[in-house]
Amino acid sequence: MSSAGSKKILIITAIVLIAAIVGGTAYYLNVTANANRRLIIATTTSTVDTGLLNYLKPYFDNKFNANMTWLSLGTGQAIEVAARGDADVLLVHDRVREDAFVASGNGTMRATIMYNDYIIIGPPNDPAGAAGANATLSMQKIRDAGLTANSTFVSRGDGSGTNALEKRLWTKAGITGYANASWYYSTGSGMAATIRVANEKAGYTITDRATFYSLNSTMALSLVIITEYDGALLNPYGILQLNSTRYTNIQSDLGTSFLLFICSNEGQALIANYTINGRQLFFPMFGNPESIGLPSENSTVTVINNMLKARGIQ
Amino acid sequence: MGGFEIITDGLMKALQIIISGDPEILAITALSLRVSLTATILGALVGIPLGFLIARSDFFGKSIITTLINTFMGLPPVAVGLVVYLFLSFSGPLGFLRLLYTPEAMIIAQMILTFPIVCGITISSVMSLNPKLKETLTSLGASPFWEARVLLNESRLGLITGIIAAFGGAISEVGAIMMVGGNLLGYTRALTTAIMLYTNMGEFATAIALGIILLLISFAVNLFLTILQSRSKVKRTI
Amino acid sequence: MAFLSIQKVSKGYAGKLCLKNVTFQVEKGDLLTVVGPSGAGKTTLLRLIDRLEEPDAGELSLDGKGYTSLAPQNIRSKIGMVFQNPVLFNTTVFNNIAYSLRFRGLPEEDTLRRVNSILDVLRLSDTKERRALTLSGGEAQRVSLARSLVYEPQLLLLDEPTANLDPYNVSIIEEVLTNSNRENDTTIIVVTHNIFQAKRIAKKVAFILNGELVEYGNTEEFFNNAQDQRTRSFIRGEMVC
Repeated sequence: MSSAGSKKILIITAIVLIAAIVGGTAYYLNVTANANRRLIIATTTSTVDTGLLNYLKPYFDNKFNANMTWLSLGTGQAIEVAARGDADVLLVHDRVREDAFVASGNGTMRATIMYNDYIIIGPPNDPAGAAGANATLSMQKIRDAGLTANSTFVSRGDGSGTNALEKRLWTKAGITGYANASWYYSTGSGMAATIRVANEKAGYTITDRATFYSLNSTMALSLVIITEYDGALLNPYGILQLNSTRYTNIQSDLGTSFLLFICSNEGQALIANYTINGRQLFFPMFGNPESIGLPSENSTVTVINNMLKARGIQ
Repeated sequence: MGGFEIITDGLMKALQIIISGDPEILAITALSLRVSLTATILGALVGIPLGFLIARSDFFGKSIITTLINTFMGLPPVAVGLVVYLFLSFSGPLGFLRLLYTPEAMIIAQMILTFPIVCGITISSVMSLNPKLKETLTSLGASPFWEARVLLNESRLGLITGIIAAFGGAISEVGAIMMVGGNLLGYTRALTTAIMLYTNMGEFATAIALGIILLLISFAVNLFLTILQSRSKVKRTI
Repeated sequence: MAFLSIQKVSKGYAGKLCLKNVTFQVEKGDLLTVVGPSGAGKTTLLRLIDRLEEPDAGELSLDGKGYTSLAPQNIRSKIGMVFQNPVLFNTTVFNNIAYSLRFRGLPEEDTLRRVNSILDVLRLSDTKERRALTLSGGEAQRVSLARSLVYEPQLLLLDEPTANLDPYNVSIIEEVLTNSNRENDTTIIVVTHNIFQAKRIAKKVAFILNGELVEYGNTEEFFNNAQDQRTRSFIRGEMVC
């Protein structure tokens, strides 16, 4: 290659490199003009991977002149990140840990805002004969078939809310020692990744309905619903306000705005409105936790309703 | 039916997405380039002089330091990401800098990955130069500055390889920037973290599109290296 | 006063002495060849003169000033050394030679002029844009000489400069050396084991055997009336141990 020719290529490459750096910087500067109205939600993969937050974003951004972003994490990590003061508001589905969060003073308010439900999914030929209305029974059947190498179970194994529910079901079914069983697989990953593994192995898994529909609409899984509508499979979500005194750098006002938004009539209606392929994924629940057997939240609900009125949101 | 059709379908959709010039895709690409290029350049600005100094001097502990640097060449990105996150977190010692979830944090994390690579390869390139070169330079009256300049020029092929290797590692890593960047839409979403997200959401076509872009960037960079290699390579007759 | 003075210099490596108590002087404008069987002694002597190493015993001085009292850069700016099997830089022939002047901070127009001139002298002008590492052995050796000559050193040291070269290159190099010595009064020391070369170009000859300076005198006397028996054997071509 001639000296002159390769010199030209060098110059062109140098220009491209500089353009990339400059362009990227320019874009970033443009974007961070809104950094002071940026909201960071620490949340679980299920609200993100189903597209729910993407759906809510334009409404929230518009109404509050904000830029809504989110960290898509496992439940444990979302709570940890919020506890470190690295997010503005927390949205998860693990009641036990949510209550502990408030009790520790990291959170100053929590409310149940919606629920989705979990389903047990598995191979269409259902080798364990697990189909039925009773989730606990299904788990037993899956384990029995597993012992004779006729079925496999795929778990998230990542300490998420889903994982916690799975463990509760095993306990309810009186089953222990499943973790090391040959028919039990632990992916340590998010819901979508776990479903994909179950799909490959034609195994059973527990998933929230929303992620199942969402994934099914984009990649045609071979798994089907085995068990649904058992009370033990309900999965309520909580929104938590972070302690602005303890975390002095968070956008506490924006975080509270998001909390109010999602509890407001508009927010709740949007949640109900979000569908994939015509199927509703999440069910609004604010102010009415008793209807699915959860303890009353009357005092919090009153506070929130008052704030909604006071700020003119509704 | 089945199998291949899914793949070609995904590829077609991906190409459509690329050609359409979607602004979100452009932003993601620009951010990736900005973060990884900056991290590589900064890593080289520190790594090359330091590597040169280590290579040309003889001091107590030289082999330990060289071994350390070579070990750090293989730092796992996700572990680096976790450590940097702990430092930059509001609860961490550097929380007051408010750097978390910014491209700067991503650059910092990637610098920790690029620096040892450039430094380590510089050390080995300079140390594998003909030892007579240094003496020749001394005899010809070269000052330490000129000596450094000439020796670095002599090892330029190795240095370029180091820089390209560092960049390749940076632009394709996902663990570090996921942790310290947060993959926030419009702020810190880069090619690799976006691919993960779209894959998780089941939007494979978009994920493939981003993957193709990543490959193109990698290809362009390696093409650059090959050209430089062919210029620098000499048919030695003596 | 002698230009270069070597006084009782000894140097050893790994317990073995390769220079033993060597003493001699070189006047300005001398062209001295140092002959002797292949061994590290002659090369070591040149390296000591170029201050690439320090003697174990004895003293060297240049222009009356002892080496130990001078900064190394001070000495090397006056000395040029052409190594055996020279190492050229991975760039053009022009740059290889130009470096010597750029190291000295010479402005680029002067560098251009002087490099082109020395390229002419060594008949290298048509190679100047070529990559130095693609040159033949003879051309490379001439470049090596050029890059030392270009900064006009007062003392030029050469270590077996024409070993392995064809007669064409040998004659160019010898011609350049003798011209430089005659026209610029450059003091030159050439280490060679080719006694015919010594006869051709030298004004003085030194014979080093096993680290000892056995004979030192002007060329005429050295070859026709050597003092030492061993010198006479060497001149006759007998293997001397």
